[in-house]
Amino acid sequence: MSNNRVSRRQFLNYTLTGVGGFMAAGMLTPMIRFAIDPVLQHKGAGDFLPTSQKVAELTDTPVKVSFSFEQVDAWYKSEVSAMAWVYKEGDKVIALSPVCKHLGCTVGWEGSPSHKNEFFCACHAGRYTKDGGNIEGTPPQGPLDQYEVEEKDGLLYLGPIIPNTLVKK
Amino acid sequence: MQFHAKDVSDVLANKTFIDTVIVPVISIDFSETTMIQSSSAADYITNLTNFIEHQFRGRILLLPPMTYASGIDQTAQLAQMQEKIIAAGFKHVFFMTSEHEIHKLNEQFAVIWLPAIPLESMDNNMKQKILEDQLAKVIPLFTDKWANQN
Ligand code: FES
Repeated sequence: MSNNRVSRRQFLNYTLTGVGGFMAAGMLTPMIRFAIDPVLQHKGAGDFLPTSQKVAELTDTPVKVSFSFEQVDAWYKSEVSAMAWVYKEGDKVIALSPVCKHLGCTVGWEGSPSHKNEFFCACHAGRYTKDGGNIEGTPPQGPLDQYEVEEKDGLLYLGPIIPNTLVKK
Repeated sequence: MQFHAKDVSDVLANKTFIDTVIVPVISIDFSETTMIQSSSAADYITNLTNFIEHQFRGRILLLPPMTYASGIDQTAQLAQMQEKIIAAGFKHVFFMTSEHEIHKLNEQFAVIWLPAIPLESMDNNMKQKILEDQLAKVIPLFTDKWANQN
Protein backbone atom coordinates (compact mmCIF):
# COMPACT_ATOMS: atom_id res chain seq x y z
CA MET A 1 0.00 0.00 0.00
CA SER A 2 2.86 2.29 0.72
CA ASN A 3 3.69 2.94 -2.97
CA ASN A 4 0.17 4.23 -3.56
CA ARG A 5 0.61 6.93 -1.05
CA VAL A 6 1.12 10.37 -2.41
CA SER A 7 4.24 11.93 -1.06
CA ARG A 8 4.31 15.56 0.00
CA ARG A 9 6.50 16.38 -3.03
CA GLN A 10 4.15 14.67 -5.50
CA PHE A 11 1.14 16.31 -3.93
CA LEU A 12 2.67 19.74 -4.36
CA ASN A 13 3.70 18.91 -7.92
CA TYR A 14 0.22 17.83 -8.91
CA THR A 15 -1.55 20.76 -7.36
CA LEU A 16 0.85 23.35 -8.65
CA THR A 17 0.74 21.97 -12.19
CA GLY A 18 -3.03 21.93 -11.95
CA VAL A 19 -3.30 25.50 -10.71
CA GLY A 20 -0.63 26.66 -13.17
CA GLY A 21 -2.52 24.99 -15.97
CA PHE A 22 -5.70 26.78 -15.08
CA MET A 23 -3.86 30.07 -14.87
CA ALA A 24 -2.25 29.55 -18.24
CA ALA A 25 -5.56 28.57 -19.76
CA GLY A 26 -7.17 31.61 -18.18
CA MET A 27 -4.62 33.83 -19.84
CA LEU A 28 -4.49 32.10 -23.18
CA THR A 29 -8.18 31.75 -23.89
CA PRO A 30 -8.89 35.44 -24.33
CA MET A 31 -5.73 35.82 -26.36
CA ILE A 32 -6.66 33.04 -28.75
CA ARG A 33 -10.24 34.23 -28.91
CA PHE A 34 -9.03 37.68 -29.73
CA ALA A 35 -6.78 36.38 -32.46
CA ILE A 36 -9.35 34.23 -34.21
CA ASP A 37 -12.41 36.32 -33.42
CA PRO A 38 -12.76 37.71 -36.95
CA VAL A 39 -12.94 34.10 -38.12
CA LEU A 40 -15.69 33.25 -35.66
CA GLN A 41 -17.84 36.22 -36.56
CA HIS A 42 -20.35 34.94 -38.94
CA LYS A 43 -20.97 36.55 -42.24
CA GLY A 44 -24.43 36.22 -43.61
CA ALA A 45 -27.74 37.91 -43.97
CA GLY A 46 -26.69 40.43 -41.38
CA ASP A 47 -24.33 42.06 -43.87
CA PHE A 48 -27.07 42.73 -46.36
CA LEU A 49 -28.63 46.15 -46.13
CA PRO A 50 -32.30 46.69 -46.87
CA THR A 51 -33.46 48.99 -49.65
CA SER A 52 -36.97 50.14 -50.43
CA GLN A 53 -36.79 48.75 -53.95
CA LYS A 54 -39.37 46.06 -54.77
CA VAL A 55 -37.70 43.31 -56.77
CA ALA A 56 -40.87 42.76 -58.77
CA GLU A 57 -40.74 46.32 -60.06
CA LEU A 58 -37.27 46.03 -61.53
CA THR A 59 -36.95 45.96 -65.32
CA ASP A 60 -34.08 45.61 -67.73
CA THR A 61 -33.42 49.36 -67.45
CA PRO A 62 -31.01 50.27 -64.66
CA VAL A 63 -32.52 52.36 -61.86
CA LYS A 64 -30.88 54.17 -58.99
CA VAL A 65 -31.40 52.39 -55.67
CA SER A 66 -30.31 54.32 -52.59
CA PHE A 67 -29.57 52.88 -49.19
CA SER A 68 -27.88 54.08 -46.05
CA PHE A 69 -25.92 52.72 -43.15
CA GLU A 70 -24.27 54.01 -40.03
CA GLN A 71 -20.57 54.53 -40.07
CA VAL A 72 -18.48 55.11 -36.96
CA ASP A 73 -15.19 56.88 -37.49
CA ALA A 74 -13.41 57.17 -34.14
CA TRP A 75 -15.94 59.18 -32.10
CA TYR A 76 -17.83 60.46 -35.09
CA LYS A 77 -20.96 58.60 -36.01
CA SER A 78 -22.58 59.40 -39.30
CA GLU A 79 -25.30 58.16 -41.57
CA VAL A 80 -23.77 57.34 -44.92
CA SER A 81 -25.85 57.22 -48.07
CA ALA A 82 -24.82 55.10 -50.98
CA MET A 83 -26.46 53.87 -54.14
CA ALA A 84 -26.37 51.19 -56.79
CA TRP A 85 -27.56 50.85 -60.39
CA VAL A 86 -29.96 47.91 -60.43
CA TYR A 87 -31.64 46.04 -63.27
CA LYS A 88 -32.86 42.60 -64.24
CA GLU A 89 -31.22 40.34 -66.75
CA GLY A 90 -33.90 37.71 -67.28
CA ASP A 91 -34.67 36.64 -63.70
CA LYS A 92 -31.31 37.64 -62.35
CA VAL A 93 -31.04 40.87 -60.40
CA ILE A 94 -27.87 42.81 -61.12
CA ALA A 95 -26.61 45.64 -58.93
CA LEU A 96 -23.61 47.65 -60.05
CA SER A 97 -21.57 50.06 -57.99
CA PRO A 98 -21.70 53.57 -59.46
CA VAL A 99 -18.12 54.35 -58.49
CA CYS A 100 -16.05 55.03 -61.61
CA LYS A 101 -12.94 52.87 -61.78
CA HIS A 102 -10.88 55.77 -63.01
CA LEU A 103 -10.83 58.23 -60.11
CA GLY A 104 -14.06 57.53 -58.29
CA CYS A 105 -16.73 59.84 -59.65
CA THR A 106 -20.34 58.63 -59.69
CA VAL A 107 -21.40 57.29 -63.09
CA GLY A 108 -24.86 57.81 -64.57
CA TRP A 109 -27.01 55.53 -66.73
CA GLU A 110 -27.26 57.19 -70.13
CA GLY A 111 -25.50 60.09 -68.49
CA SER A 112 -24.58 61.43 -71.89
CA PRO A 113 -27.15 61.93 -74.63
CA SER A 114 -24.67 60.77 -77.27
CA HIS A 115 -24.08 57.40 -75.61
CA LYS A 116 -27.32 55.48 -75.30
CA ASN A 117 -27.50 52.24 -73.36
CA GLU A 118 -24.26 52.90 -71.51
CA PHE A 119 -23.03 54.19 -68.18
CA PHE A 120 -21.25 57.52 -68.48
CA CYS A 121 -18.85 59.29 -66.16
CA ALA A 122 -19.11 63.05 -66.52
CA CYS A 123 -15.67 63.65 -65.00
CA HIS A 124 -13.52 62.54 -67.92
CA ALA A 125 -16.04 60.98 -70.29
CA GLY A 126 -15.49 57.43 -69.01
CA ARG A 127 -17.88 54.91 -70.57
CA TYR A 128 -19.13 51.46 -69.54
CA THR A 129 -21.43 48.94 -71.17
CA LYS A 130 -24.60 47.92 -69.34
CA ASP A 131 -22.89 44.99 -67.61
CA GLY A 132 -20.28 47.43 -66.29
CA GLY A 133 -17.53 46.65 -68.79
CA ASN A 134 -15.18 49.58 -69.37
CA ILE A 135 -15.05 50.73 -72.96
CA GLU A 136 -11.60 50.82 -74.51
CA GLY A 137 -10.26 54.25 -75.29
CA THR A 138 -11.92 55.93 -72.27
CA PRO A 139 -10.01 56.53 -69.01
CA PRO A 140 -11.37 53.69 -66.81
CA GLN A 141 -9.10 50.66 -66.75
CA GLY A 142 -11.50 48.12 -65.26
CA PRO A 143 -15.20 47.20 -65.07
CA LEU A 144 -17.63 48.58 -62.46
CA ASP A 145 -17.84 46.54 -59.26
CA GLN A 146 -20.95 44.61 -58.35
CA TYR A 147 -23.02 44.24 -55.20
CA GLU A 148 -24.14 40.89 -53.92
CA VAL A 149 -27.92 40.86 -53.92
CA GLU A 150 -30.63 39.11 -51.95
CA GLU A 151 -34.40 39.22 -51.96
CA LYS A 152 -36.33 39.26 -48.72
CA ASP A 153 -40.10 39.74 -48.47
CA GLY A 154 -40.11 41.06 -52.01
CA LEU A 155 -37.55 43.75 -51.25
CA LEU A 156 -34.03 44.08 -52.56
CA TYR A 157 -31.13 43.74 -50.11
CA LEU A 158 -27.62 44.74 -51.04
CA GLY A 159 -24.59 42.92 -49.69
CA PRO A 160 -20.83 43.29 -49.96
CA ILE A 161 -19.16 44.78 -53.03
CA ILE A 162 -17.50 42.16 -55.24
CA PRO A 163 -15.46 42.39 -58.44
CA ASN A 164 -17.53 42.37 -61.62
CA THR A 165 -18.57 38.81 -62.52
CA LEU A 166 -20.44 39.63 -65.74
CA VAL A 167 -17.74 40.99 -67.97
CA LYS A 168 -15.72 38.39 -69.83
CA LYS A 169 -12.25 39.45 -70.73
CA MET B 1 -11.17 64.71 -53.43
CA GLN B 2 -11.10 65.94 -49.87
CA PHE B 3 -8.34 68.06 -48.46
CA HIS B 4 -6.76 65.30 -46.41
CA ALA B 5 -3.43 63.57 -46.84
CA LYS B 6 -4.69 60.46 -48.61
CA ASP B 7 -6.82 62.25 -51.19
CA VAL B 8 -4.30 65.01 -51.72
CA SER B 9 -1.64 62.49 -52.68
CA ASP B 10 -4.11 61.17 -55.28
CA VAL B 11 -4.59 64.73 -56.48
CA LEU B 12 -0.87 65.22 -56.91
CA ALA B 13 -0.59 61.95 -58.80
CA ASN B 14 -3.48 62.84 -61.14
CA LYS B 15 -3.09 66.56 -61.67
CA THR B 16 -4.17 66.51 -65.26
CA PHE B 17 -7.49 64.93 -64.32
CA ILE B 18 -8.27 66.76 -61.10
CA ASP B 19 -8.33 70.30 -62.42
CA THR B 20 -11.13 71.93 -60.46
CA VAL B 21 -11.22 73.34 -56.93
CA ILE B 22 -14.29 74.15 -54.86
CA VAL B 23 -13.93 76.63 -52.03
CA PRO B 24 -16.94 76.85 -49.71
CA VAL B 25 -17.32 80.39 -48.37
CA ILE B 26 -19.18 80.73 -45.09
CA SER B 27 -19.86 83.82 -43.02
CA ILE B 28 -20.19 83.54 -39.27
CA ASP B 29 -22.76 85.81 -37.74
CA PHE B 30 -22.89 86.18 -33.97
CA SER B 31 -25.85 88.49 -33.59
CA GLU B 32 -28.45 86.89 -31.37
CA THR B 33 -31.23 87.10 -33.90
CA THR B 34 -29.37 85.54 -36.82
CA MET B 35 -26.77 83.23 -35.29
CA ILE B 36 -29.00 80.17 -35.71
CA GLN B 37 -29.63 81.04 -39.33
CA SER B 38 -25.93 81.51 -39.87
CA SER B 39 -25.13 78.08 -38.43
CA SER B 40 -27.84 76.47 -40.49
CA ALA B 41 -26.48 78.05 -43.67
CA ALA B 42 -22.96 76.90 -42.78
CA ASP B 43 -24.25 73.37 -42.28
CA TYR B 44 -26.07 73.46 -45.60
CA ILE B 45 -23.06 74.59 -47.62
CA THR B 46 -20.87 72.01 -45.88
CA ASN B 47 -23.32 69.22 -46.68
CA LEU B 48 -23.87 70.29 -50.25
CA THR B 49 -20.20 70.73 -51.10
CA ASN B 50 -19.44 67.31 -49.60
CA PHE B 51 -22.21 65.82 -51.67
CA ILE B 52 -20.78 67.40 -54.82
CA GLU B 53 -17.33 66.14 -53.92
CA HIS B 54 -18.73 62.65 -53.58
CA GLN B 55 -20.23 62.79 -57.09
CA PHE B 56 -17.22 64.36 -58.79
CA ARG B 57 -14.33 63.31 -56.65
CA GLY B 58 -12.26 62.31 -59.66
CA ARG B 59 -12.21 65.84 -60.98
CA ILE B 60 -12.76 68.14 -58.00
CA LEU B 61 -10.70 69.01 -54.97
CA LEU B 62 -12.88 70.35 -52.15
CA LEU B 63 -11.10 72.72 -49.79
CA PRO B 64 -12.04 73.28 -46.15
CA PRO B 65 -14.41 76.27 -45.96
CA MET B 66 -13.17 79.87 -45.90
CA THR B 67 -14.95 81.39 -42.95
CA TYR B 68 -15.13 85.07 -42.08
CA ALA B 69 -16.93 87.36 -39.68
CA SER B 70 -20.07 88.47 -41.46
CA GLY B 71 -20.08 91.92 -43.04
CA ILE B 72 -16.35 92.05 -43.68
CA ASP B 73 -15.34 92.42 -47.30
CA GLN B 74 -13.76 89.28 -48.74
CA THR B 75 -12.70 90.44 -52.19
CA ALA B 76 -9.01 90.38 -51.36
CA GLN B 77 -9.17 86.99 -49.64
CA LEU B 78 -10.98 85.39 -52.55
CA ALA B 79 -8.55 86.91 -55.03
CA GLN B 80 -5.53 85.67 -53.10
CA MET B 81 -6.93 82.20 -52.72
CA GLN B 82 -7.84 81.99 -56.39
CA GLU B 83 -4.42 83.19 -57.43
CA LYS B 84 -2.70 80.51 -55.35
CA ILE B 85 -4.97 77.77 -56.69
CA ILE B 86 -4.34 78.75 -60.30
CA ALA B 87 -0.62 79.09 -59.65
CA ALA B 88 -0.66 75.52 -58.34
CA GLY B 89 -1.84 74.37 -61.76
CA PHE B 90 -5.59 73.97 -61.30
CA LYS B 91 -7.76 75.28 -64.11
CA HIS B 92 -11.08 76.08 -62.49
CA VAL B 93 -11.99 77.63 -59.15
CA PHE B 94 -15.55 77.77 -57.86
CA PHE B 95 -16.57 79.58 -54.70
CA MET B 96 -19.74 78.05 -53.26
CA THR B 97 -21.75 80.09 -50.82
CA SER B 98 -25.16 81.08 -49.59
CA GLU B 99 -24.03 84.60 -48.61
CA HIS B 100 -25.38 87.53 -50.61
CA GLU B 101 -22.29 89.62 -50.03
CA ILE B 102 -20.19 86.92 -51.73
CA HIS B 103 -22.72 86.49 -54.51
CA LYS B 104 -22.13 90.13 -55.43
CA LEU B 105 -18.56 89.26 -56.34
CA ASN B 106 -19.64 86.96 -59.15
CA GLU B 107 -18.37 89.26 -61.88
CA GLN B 108 -14.86 88.79 -60.65
CA PHE B 109 -15.05 85.16 -59.55
CA ALA B 110 -16.94 82.02 -60.43
CA VAL B 111 -19.36 82.21 -57.51
CA ILE B 112 -22.07 79.58 -57.19
CA TRP B 113 -24.70 81.03 -54.94
CA LEU B 114 -27.48 78.90 -53.50
CA PRO B 115 -30.05 80.00 -50.94
CA ALA B 116 -29.54 78.07 -47.72
CA ILE B 117 -32.10 75.37 -47.03
CA PRO B 118 -32.51 74.45 -43.35
CA LEU B 119 -31.55 70.77 -43.30
CA GLU B 120 -31.75 70.38 -39.53
CA SER B 121 -35.50 69.92 -39.56
CA MET B 122 -35.36 67.05 -42.06
CA ASP B 123 -34.97 63.33 -41.81
CA ASN B 124 -32.26 61.60 -43.81
CA ASN B 125 -34.38 60.70 -46.83
CA MET B 126 -35.61 64.24 -47.19
CA LYS B 127 -32.10 65.62 -46.80
CA GLN B 128 -30.84 63.27 -49.47
CA LYS B 129 -33.60 64.38 -51.82
CA ILE B 130 -32.93 68.06 -51.29
CA LEU B 131 -29.21 67.61 -51.85
CA GLU B 132 -29.85 65.61 -55.01
CA ASP B 133 -32.14 68.35 -56.34
CA GLN B 134 -29.59 71.04 -55.60
CA LEU B 135 -26.85 68.96 -57.14
CA ALA B 136 -28.86 68.61 -60.33
CA LYS B 137 -28.97 72.42 -60.47
CA VAL B 138 -25.24 72.90 -60.15
CA ILE B 139 -24.02 70.03 -62.35
CA PRO B 140 -24.48 72.04 -65.58
CA LEU B 141 -22.40 74.87 -64.12
CA PHE B 142 -19.47 72.49 -63.81
CA THR B 143 -19.98 70.49 -66.97
CA ASP B 144 -20.36 73.68 -69.07
CA LYS B 145 -17.07 75.00 -67.77
CA TRP B 146 -15.40 71.67 -68.43
CA ALA B 147 -16.90 71.33 -71.90
CA ASN B 148 -15.83 74.83 -72.97
CA GLN B 149 -12.28 74.17 -72.09
CA ASN B 150 -11.81 70.83 -73.84
S1 FES C 1 -13.36 59.50 -62.82
FE1 FES C 1 -14.67 58.56 -64.26
S2 FES C 1 -13.64 58.92 -66.11
FE2 FES C 1 -12.30 59.83 -64.67
